[in-house]
Amino acid sequence: MRLINLWRNSAMPRRLRLTVGATLIAFLSTHCALAADSSPQVTLNVAKASPRNVEALTQRSIVRDYKFAWANLDLALESNSAGPLNGLFAGNANAELNEAVGSQRKSGITSRYLNQTHKLEAAFYAPEGDVIELHDTAEYDLEILDGGKAIHTEHAIIHYIVLMTPGADRWVVRQLQAVPQF
Amino acid sequence: MSSSINTVCRNRRLRCCAYGIALACCLSAAVLAQDLSLRAPSGAVAGSAASIGTSGSGSATFYMIGPSLSLKRDVELGQDITLSSQELQTAGRYIAIVCTNNCSSVGFFVAPAKPVNLTFLVHPSRAPVAQNDAVSGVALTFDEYHNLVIAPTAIQFQLAAKGSSPASHGAQTHDGIAWFRTSSGKSAGPLQVSASLSNEVTARRVVQQVASEPCNLRIKGERTSKGIVVETDPLRDCSGNPVPDGTVVTFTAKNGNLTSSVDSPVKQDVARATMLATGPVIISAASGVAMGNELRLGGKE
Repeated sequence: MRLINLWRNSAMPRRLRLTVGATLIAFLSTHCALAADSSPQVTLNVAKASPRNVEALTQRSIVRDYKFAWANLDLALESNSAGPLNGLFAGNANAELNEAVGSQRKSGITSRYLNQTHKLEAAFYAPEGDVIELHDTAEYDLEILDGGKAIHTEHAIIHYIVLMTPGADRWVVRQLQAVPQF
Repeated sequence: MSSSINTVCRNRRLRCCAYGIALACCLSAAVLAQDLSLRAPSGAVAGSAASIGTSGSGSATFYMIGPSLSLKRDVELGQDITLSSQELQTAGRYIAIVCTNNCSSVGFFVAPAKPVNLTFLVHPSRAPVAQNDAVSGVALTFDEYHNLVIAPTAIQFQLAAKGSSPASHGAQTHDGIAWFRTSSGKSAGPLQVSASLSNEVTARRVVQQVASEPCNLRIKGERTSKGIVVETDPLRDCSGNPVPDGTVVTFTAKNGNLTSSVDSPVKQDVARATMLATGPVIISAASGVAMGNELRLGGKE
């Protein structure tokens, strides 16, 4: 409130004040929109899950952790740093993504996965709940850059077969394999 | 009049010129696009070499981005780009890109190789006997590069317990997974569970089948100088298996309004307790859902 009053009483001409205000609002709204876009959108359908039903709490955890995993996958491949992969990817998925980051760094390439949406469908949930197989129809804008120069951009729709297992406090991605179709 | 004819002619010439330039642009773009066209390998399999066809001439930069690798190298257009078996070990989607002044790309999939590894999850490690759907197993098929083999594969599950003929169950993987669920056997002891992949690869696990809850509980006791010593007959489950050591039996002594209880673990099939009580008492025992007989001391049983 005090800030608004200071702004109102400032010595700036009214027109200039309006222009600066509008620019500020436009800047903030653009950046808020970008921030909203950068977070992957994940939905999960468990209607076909068998032999075990996916409990509501498990559904929420899977959506939360898968979303977090993809946000960090994007971060890792954009910054060529394996750090963001830790704790969210395990086993084979972790090894492969670490290799991907290492070879990107070596060849000077970076990748970006923008505007991600993931439609997950639970295909198999083990009787004891220790592994779940998901079908992910992922849609994103893929951008591949060599030293900052875009060499490939596409709006891709990719099918992934995903294996997730429960860890101590989260679900981790163990297998992330793109397939031509389900 | 003549000036208007001239204007028309000039306009027509200009239009012709513009069409010519546009056509030339389109042609040159088409030629450039043709120069950079790539032919993706068809039916690429993990761990097998493949090649990408290129058209055009001159040198270019080739990039390939896969699930676990990114590579960049110089290539000659018009020649096939060879991809080694090491470069195609991971199944998934690859993007091949060739750049000169502009870039052209093609995407392709690498399929998993044949299954040679099994991940076999069996639960639980200890199961009570004669329980419905007590034992379950999940088998996942992988190739030698740790890719999940999606193609249907036959898996043979076998369950063998001491003293009974082995049971076999065949299943086909669906998206790399096959599973079974079965009841536990009637005898306590190890249950050997195995999953086989065309008899070449076998994964084995052991489930320890243990006795279920005690079925019949009978107690006997006598007064001694130290108190009342009570003990059970050897404890068995309903299938006749001796219950495991450590199974708790609760002895309760009632003397009028006074009640006292003692929890005693089973040792070598029998649970024992010494209870301090004077006068006539009624002693009973319970373990799990089984209730024992009542024992009356100081009166009649």
